[in-house]
Amino acid sequence: MTMLRESQIMKIHYITAVAALFVVAIHILMRIAFMPYGMSLEYGNVIANYQSIPYIILLESILVLVSIHGFNGLRVILLELRQSKKWEDGVTILSIAAMIALIAYGTRTIIIANGLGVG
Amino acid sequence: MLPWRGNIELERELADRNNREGMKGWLNPRRYGWERVSYWLQRLTGVGLLAYFVGHTYETSQITGGPALWEAFLELSQTPLGHMILIVVIGMCVYHSANGIRLIFAHGGKGLGKPGRPDYPYDAVSLNYRQKSGIWIALILAAVAMLYGASVLFGGE
Repeated sequence: MTMLRESQIMKIHYITAVAALFVVAIHILMRIAFMPYGMSLEYGNVIANYQSIPYIILLESILVLVSIHGFNGLRVILLELRQSKKWEDGVTILSIAAMIALIAYGTRTIIIANGLGVG
Repeated sequence: MLPWRGNIELERELADRNNREGMKGWLNPRRYGWERVSYWLQRLTGVGLLAYFVGHTYETSQITGGPALWEAFLELSQTPLGHMILIVVIGMCVYHSANGIRLIFAHGGKGLGKPGRPDYPYDAVSLNYRQKSGIWIALILAAVAMLYGASVLFGGE
């Protein structure tokens, strides 16, 4: 089942962790640094975020990095709790499927919101 | 002759089952001291953050339903309870990040000290003051971030 060695998967886990730390920090700063937190959540301001290409890249990066890191982390926890070939293969397949589903759902939001007008 | 003898896969699985403490072993904080607490806090915060991330992805997707749906959804989440949940998420995020950085260094062999002769009372050299300080720093940073988060969320802005 494994296409990558666990050592390679852990490197990916750490790289996505450090990268996610940076992009999530920028995302949080955007919520509080330029305007009050409550105002940044107003419909017009959120839509404006989705229509800015650099912000779209930031959101998609967060989506991909956190999904990979999060679901691989969950996979590692589940493999620590129990070990058998069936369990390990099942957990790996489900983690990858959930990861792809979440990335697809989040990307769908970005694409639709990008097409919405503020008015 | 035991029926599973020779079936290596089954033998391994049975041995694993017999040695397994399950969740009790995973959550037992009595062994290994602070490092054990840090071990399960890292996992609990990780699962909590993943749950929040899935919820947040769903929450933000409500923007596609137009301004009325977005405002209605915000009214649900921008409540004192919603703010309290967000403050816990901030704490989990900062702890998970700071402790995760410590773990990346530890897995790379940094800050573990030099291997020593195993003398009584057999304290592990790797579980040293650097690692303990790292855990405390992660906890303190999480507490500070939660206080800052509370000031922003409940600050009336």
